[in-house]
Amino acid sequence: MKREELLNIAQGWFEGRGWNPFPFQKQTWNAYLQGKHGLLNAPTGSGKTYALWTPIVLSYIKSNPEYKTKHKKGIKALWITPLRALSVEIQQAAQRMADELETGLTVGIRTGDTTQAERAKQKRSMPDLLITTPESLMLLLASKDYPKLFKTLEAVVVDEWHELLGSKRGVQMELALSRLKTICPKLRIWGISATIGNLDQAMDVLMGDSTEQEKPRVLIRAKRKPKVKVKSIIPKKMETFPWRGHLGLHLLEEIIPIIEASKTTIIFTNTRGQCEIWFQKILEKHPELAGALAMHHGSINKETRLWVEQAIRNESLKAVVATSSLDLGVDFAPVETIIQIGGPKGVAKFLQRAGRSNHRPGEPSLIYFLPTHALELVEASALKRAVTESVMEDRTPFLLCFDVLIQYLVTLAVSDGFKPEEIFPEVQRTFCFQGLTEEQWQWCLNFITKGSQSLEAYNEYRKVLIQEDGLFKVTDRRIAMTHRLSIGTIVSDAMLLVKYVSGGFIGTVEEWFLGKMKPGDTFVFAGRTLELVRLRNMTAQVRKSKKRSSNVVSFMGGRLPLSSQMSQLLREELQSSSAYKSHTRELRALSHIFERQLQESIVPASYEFLIESFETREGFHVVFYPFEGRFVHEALSHILAYRISLLIPISFSLAYNDYGFELLSDQFWDVQLIFDNDLFTPEYLLQDLEKSINATEMASRKFRDIAVISGLVFQGYPNKTVKTKHLQSNSRLLFKVFKDFEPDNLLLQQAYRETFEHELEEGRLRIALERICNQDMEWRPCEKPTPFSFPIITDRLREKMSSEKLSDRIKRMRVQYED
Amino acid sequence: MKTNSMKTLAFNFGGLECVGHPSGALYVPAYDCLLIADVHLGKVSHFRKHGAAVPTAAIQSNFDKLDIAMEDFKTDRIYFLGDLFHSHTNKEWDYFARWTQERKPETTLVLGNHDIIPLSRYDALGITTCEVGALGDLQLTHIPEDKPEQFTISGHIHPGVRLRGVGRQSISLPCFFISGKQMILPAFGSFTGKHVLRPGSDDRIYAIAEGELLALHETP
Repeated sequence: MKREELLNIAQGWFEGRGWNPFPFQKQTWNAYLQGKHGLLNAPTGSGKTYALWTPIVLSYIKSNPEYKTKHKKGIKALWITPLRALSVEIQQAAQRMADELETGLTVGIRTGDTTQAERAKQKRSMPDLLITTPESLMLLLASKDYPKLFKTLEAVVVDEWHELLGSKRGVQMELALSRLKTICPKLRIWGISATIGNLDQAMDVLMGDSTEQEKPRVLIRAKRKPKVKVKSIIPKKMETFPWRGHLGLHLLEEIIPIIEASKTTIIFTNTRGQCEIWFQKILEKHPELAGALAMHHGSINKETRLWVEQAIRNESLKAVVATSSLDLGVDFAPVETIIQIGGPKGVAKFLQRAGRSNHRPGEPSLIYFLPTHALELVEASALKRAVTESVMEDRTPFLLCFDVLIQYLVTLAVSDGFKPEEIFPEVQRTFCFQGLTEEQWQWCLNFITKGSQSLEAYNEYRKVLIQEDGLFKVTDRRIAMTHRLSIGTIVSDAMLLVKYVSGGFIGTVEEWFLGKMKPGDTFVFAGRTLELVRLRNMTAQVRKSKKRSSNVVSFMGGRLPLSSQMSQLLREELQSSSAYKSHTRELRALSHIFERQLQESIVPASYEFLIESFETREGFHVVFYPFEGRFVHEALSHILAYRISLLIPISFSLAYNDYGFELLSDQFWDVQLIFDNDLFTPEYLLQDLEKSINATEMASRKFRDIAVISGLVFQGYPNKTVKTKHLQSNSRLLFKVFKDFEPDNLLLQQAYRETFEHELEEGRLRIALERICNQDMEWRPCEKPTPFSFPIITDRLREKMSSEKLSDRIKRMRVQYED
Repeated sequence: MKTNSMKTLAFNFGGLECVGHPSGALYVPAYDCLLIADVHLGKVSHFRKHGAAVPTAAIQSNFDKLDIAMEDFKTDRIYFLGDLFHSHTNKEWDYFARWTQERKPETTLVLGNHDIIPLSRYDALGITTCEVGALGDLQLTHIPEDKPEQFTISGHIHPGVRLRGVGRQSISLPCFFISGKQMILPAFGSFTGKHVLRPGSDDRIYAIAEGELLALHETP
């Protein structure tokens, strides 16, 4: 059949349903049928499933002209989705088309939820399209004779590739593709991604180095720009609106009319703790909303979350307070309004949230922005501009993840075994491992076979055996089983299950939060006040409490820093000269604050770097404003404090937020010494960073995930934790042993690398320093704190410069006694 | 590998002078004897055998630490307060046997819950084993007693203490933990974790930090 005829079949099916294919859909069909690889840039709910499923069906029809009567067996395509929840929707859409075109094609799902019987059935006879997750795909690669399973595979579609890209799941996907490319020479690789800043790179990562495969690749963009309208909630009395804070409860009453006016509203918060507090406070002030208001975040049990999602769909809820747990996923038609509380810290995240609201054709999505303190209105103003200028963040792919590589190699050893000379070139052609050296590769092989020891003697390490024919294979059934159970790159935190004494699972809470509580203490979680009855193993048994409690459950590391794109917009917005008076509504509302700022100091222009100094009874404050986000400020404050402490004897207390940072000291020092000694120089950045920040502590936290992914720590059999207890060790202990006895271990080094690259954002830090060096230094000695400085200097989460010895640090700390 | 950086700390326990060593060993001068708990020899090999690549250098460091403690106090009497070996015998038993034959310490092992190696093998090395040991009136056990009537030193718990500072700083350190008539020794082994205890206000804590012993309780 000619391509024209094939396309007519699809066109006819679309018209039969009263649809007209979008240009991007037709473009994709054509490209696919021409045998190209590609990346489709299209938002959720735009018809992307039919953009790629259609040509897969057409291609089948082409090679099987008698498709209506004769079904050719074997898998045709894999559809990878990061979220299990999305798979059912994709299955329904795909099956509908397959059935109505009478193709006899079957669509199956294989995820962690798939029953054992169903899995076995699939192994015997694969569905034509298999919808699965990266983890389940890896598990298929861990099964015997996997090349046979995929022999007939023609296409892999990686949905929501932008979600996987910046994570280790993306690396896992790269490795899986590198294998599939070899065993299925006809393979076409397609990705679907929402708009991100580095779409071209996203395609490169997905394809890997495909010099072997000469198939051309295309990037297709759906020209459907999401229309978003941002509306800031501006307090009526700006003068009494606080200069600092992060909860935003002052404006609670403002959202009630918004909730009442629309069918369903999603209220997005930035952290799970904030989510809990907002839910609690709304119900406290408006008990009439009880039953019509729900909460949704990642630590609430799955059944409750599914119930909430269903309740949104059948319109039985008025509003839901949520976190990023509702960012992704199925469409909720009844949602009319979105409220964002506090700065979303990133443009892409903000747009994604805005897109959750129902878009009637031609009408924009409406999102309200509720500031938690005055200066956040600048963020709102910057966001509005980001929306019109379609600025987008990058998703940075991981490089050289030895933990994922080691897991992958053991996976291959578990199934059919592998020959290094065959796998090495495949791995090297992935984006992640393009810089992998022969030595590093040998190290990985040595790690899985000899436990990274060079001596054969006295080595009882057994994992992967090298057989006589050179095949690397796992022969021990127990090792194979534990490995299959450990496949994956998402490492969960040490969580305690929260259950009622009478049974009934409520959710999970981080261990440290409940660890400090005694039986009888109460806390607020999942919208309920609960009393702790007892802690047993990893379960906290609770009962409902009538007491009022202000002890709302909190979670570590909830706060995201400003993305670099957001920081730049923020700087430009703030620094867009002092023409704020004529500027946006948000900036106008802030005019009295700008006036106060100008009385004491300046609003810096883009070529200026502002430093303010003043004295209070707390001491001598020096405040710097790079506007680079809290991670970069954390690192900058430590470096600067360290560099100053080399010049004069002094001790600092540090504070930072997304806008700037502060060095507080009990004595006056001459700020001029920063300029005289060029203390913002990017030279010796890494060395000074290592000396000034407790990198070891940070790396030890990073190592936890690495240890689990690489199989050093086994997280246990489901529901059978006790039996393996003798093998469980804590990753901190392992980190310490490696640090003391095997400092050149690649996994240990990876922990440090990830700390510098991802935690401290070394690259961004360097760029920030270079920028600062080219700006005019504006040092303003002030009489009293300025409005800009206020949110920073009142921050209670302070750090001390700790370049001292451990024993000196300890003298300033306090033992945790019984309460 | 003898270093002078090891700083010891002497304190009183039930009228008896005790000297804490940063390795986690306790020296009792009146009996010229070292008390050592929870070495967990064989644990590294046990993990490696089950596919976790713990560095083998951690094995040797246990013996180095034993040597240092014995040399620092010029003694060759050792009481192991249980969990000397982590599991069944493996290669590390041979290392231990060789070390014992070379150093010839006068060794007693108070049996712990992990000590499942046949006692005859200890006999063969000249090591005395017992369920409960004693130094005069001082009782030596592996598992701490609920409320001891006499002064008791034990192990088993791997005690640690958590310290918190400003800016969410937090650190946990192994420690000698004294509560009433009971002292719990830190785990001596190089590959042992710790269990964080929350002391009461009357308890005494001597924590180990970078080769140094620090008294952390508030001295009255």
